[in-house]
Amino acid sequence: MTEPRSPISTSVPPTPPGIIMPPADVSGMTVEMDPVEYTLRKRLPRKLPKRRNDVYVNMKTDFRAQLSRCQKLLEGGGHREICVHGLGLAINRAINIALQLQASSQGALQLAANTSTVELVDDLEPEDPDEAREPMTRTRNNSAIHIKVFYPDPQ
Amino acid sequence: PGQGGFKKVCRTEEDSPCPFPGLAPGVLEMRVKEGSKIRNLMGFAMARMQGDVAGAGGDSGGGSLRQVIFSGSGRAVTKTITCTEIMKRKVGCLHQLTKLRYKGVREVWESQEGGASEMTVHRTIPSISILLSKDPLDPQEPGYQPPETISALWEEREGADVPQTASKRPLSLSPHSSFPDSKRVCLGLEDGA
Repeated sequence: MTEPRSPISTSVPPTPPGIIMPPADVSGMTVEMDPVEYTLRKRLPRKLPKRRNDVYVNMKTDFRAQLSRCQKLLEGGGHREICVHGLGLAINRAINIALQLQASSQGALQLAANTSTVELVDDLEPEDPDEAREPMTRTRNNSAIHIKVFYPDPQ
Repeated sequence: PGQGGFKKVCRTEEDSPCPFPGLAPGVLEMRVKEGSKIRNLMGFAMARMQGDVAGAGGDSGGGSLRQVIFSGSGRAVTKTITCTEIMKRKVGCLHQLTKLRYKGVREVWESQEGGASEMTVHRTIPSISILLSKDPLDPQEPGYQPPETISALWEEREGADVPQTASKRPLSLSPHSSFPDSKRVCLGLEDGA
């Protein structure tokens, strides 16, 4: 994988997850958290297990490149099974890759899909550097898919 | 978003056989669409799956369903998975079977400049169908997931190459449906909140 690992240390101060947004301000008083003054930085999802036959599908790499990587693992790599993982928007692409692999194998390959929930953390950084408070985070969930693409064992 | 002055006027999915043969008739099928509100889908589905108070260990399924299917295609696939994940978290102890396939879709596009011309596009899109069941399902079926376990596909297995993904984990038989005692930490935040 050529995914850059973010240098952000994972030691997060125990801040309560979730930020309660104050009600919309009407009187013109200073609001404690104005969304305009914050940038949203998405952290990378927690470190993932990576075996040689794990493929993490993303939306940045060219589709055909990811597809041929999977094909090489199954054909040249001598793997009898690979795992294709997709998160959020990449779920569609992961399914597409798995179905393409199956279609081009003339029915030799089988698919077994599992779904899960992945917890993601966003950092809210104040636009104003003087506002040096403890960093705020927001936790949210996203769906993920894990597709095993395999040659069934001859019975 | 006009595509060269064309606007999509309708989209019909071609019929395909049910991916779960041999199901009991009258299973609720939730067809998730791109614009469906998760709140509405879940409100409807949860009411039917939680028909009676959880905790009755016996055979007293007082009007509540045993099984539900969530299906969606194209841009609705992620939403379909999100719905099943929410339901698994809220109901607990559900057996899951996931099936993937291609679906044929016919789209009719109409010219926006004096709608005389019309064209039909046929495309094939990935679709997902997920069966959630209170009753056990065949664990040998590809795409089966036992209740309240984190997928063995996701976790690093100790054995380098285990052929079967049979996760031998004691199933929690507690009939509660609030917080499953899985490794997942529920922080009381709903998806999309």
